[in-house]
Amino acid sequence: MKKGLIKATDAFERIVHWSLAISCLVLCITGLGMMFHSFNFIGDLMGGLKSLKYVHNFTALFFVLALAFSIKMWWREAGVFSMPEDLEWMLCAGGYLWHVDHPPKVGKYNPGQKMFFLTVAFFGVIMVITGFIMWFPLSLPVELVRWMYPLHALGFVVIFAFFFVHLYLGTIGSPGSLPAMLHGWVTRAWLVKQHGKWLEEMEEKGTLEVYGEEKRAAQGH
Amino acid sequence: MKGIELVKLIDTSLCTACRGCQVACKQWNEVPAFRTKNNGSYQNPPDLQWNTWTLIRFQEYEDAGGKFTWLFRKDGCMHCTDAACVRVCPSGALYHTPFGTVGLRKEKCIGCKECVSACPFNIPRYDKATDKIYKCDLCQGRLQDNLSPACVKSCPTGALTIGAREAMIKKAHARAKALGGDANVYGDKFVDGTHVIYVLKEKPEVYDALPVNPHVPLSVMAWKDLLKPLSLVAAGGVLAASFLHYIIHGPKTPDDADNQTKEGGA
Repeated sequence: MKKGLIKATDAFERIVHWSLAISCLVLCITGLGMMFHSFNFIGDLMGGLKSLKYVHNFTALFFVLALAFSIKMWWREAGVFSMPEDLEWMLCAGGYLWHVDHPPKVGKYNPGQKMFFLTVAFFGVIMVITGFIMWFPLSLPVELVRWMYPLHALGFVVIFAFFFVHLYLGTIGSPGSLPAMLHGWVTRAWLVKQHGKWLEEMEEKGTLEVYGEEKRAAQGH
Repeated sequence: MKGIELVKLIDTSLCTACRGCQVACKQWNEVPAFRTKNNGSYQNPPDLQWNTWTLIRFQEYEDAGGKFTWLFRKDGCMHCTDAACVRVCPSGALYHTPFGTVGLRKEKCIGCKECVSACPFNIPRYDKATDKIYKCDLCQGRLQDNLSPACVKSCPTGALTIGAREAMIKKAHARAKALGGDANVYGDKFVDGTHVIYVLKEKPEVYDALPVNPHVPLSVMAWKDLLKPLSLVAAGGVLAASFLHYIIHGPKTPDDADNQTKEGGA
């Protein structure tokens, strides 16, 4: 690791993130295998469509766990908007869509990331509930069961589209972001540009961890 | 019968509830029977099961004049033209045959039970032991060999007949007209026409477990016709938008570390 890099995430955070990401991706891919006849071949990789069904159902159990940890872990940081700077940020789209001289400084998560988190949390819960009913449908009223399928499909529409947004903005759309979820160390320049308020907060509280430097005492100022 | 669209006609006015069709179905298709108990009705077993693909429903009925009568209805797959089960089946286990019937490739069924709730007639039944669903396939093997289905073959009264679709629909309407009163034809008007059609003695609403206005559920259409294509359109749209964003607006890159002015508390 290079000297001067700043710690953005801890190992637990990254493990939860990738548990959710990988299980979500496996669910999307296996789900596609059942949703479209032209994707039935995905089942061949797993020994048939019936095995694919089991991969989907049991990966879902892993997803439930990862989702529960994600919501618990990120609720405070990404589940609550802090006004008025989040509103200002949204009004100029954070400078992502058109030129903005100085987008408002944001904390650890910008409002776009917060909306992404809330969407994944909300539709993730929808997917879990509808999916569980689809797994064990026979003792429930048919009118209820019938609507679980389009709801599950709606969740897929949203989550699958958001996955690509997330993929773009986590990689080439925002250079310097990916390391935050790989090894957790980011550059100061990236922090200043993307999460200026968070950097200031960490410096103020003395929680800033710089690679190669002793951690400053919490009552630094 | 090869290569033509077929309709099996069930003339309820001729049915004596001998249940020969029920037995013939099990015998030809080699499906076992469960031990049952007397539950106060001749209707036995009480409902369709994974191993009972056709069932005579016994119903005691008093008409408007207070006259008692039996209503017998042979229940089973209606073989819809616009079949909700085929629309939802993820594996292609349920499919339309050249006869217009709905066939079932058992080896392809993955036991997802999506057809169970999609069917407007509540026909497919799930078997836990094999993790598959089962239903009538109108004896497809027999049809392919130019034979009538086992139930039709066994029917002693002529209540069950099978033939070319148009001719059978015509025959059904002629029979309903001859019977008069409330007699009507059930099956040629909805889900683009079923390939099992009833001549009912009474109005459809009189019969147990018979939907008056069966249709592909709205939920199935929202799911398969709207959200399913939308999922790929939305994902493709996002990919295209990301690409355009990258080449038009460009990524959000940190300013050069050297030029950066320190701000804030430090």
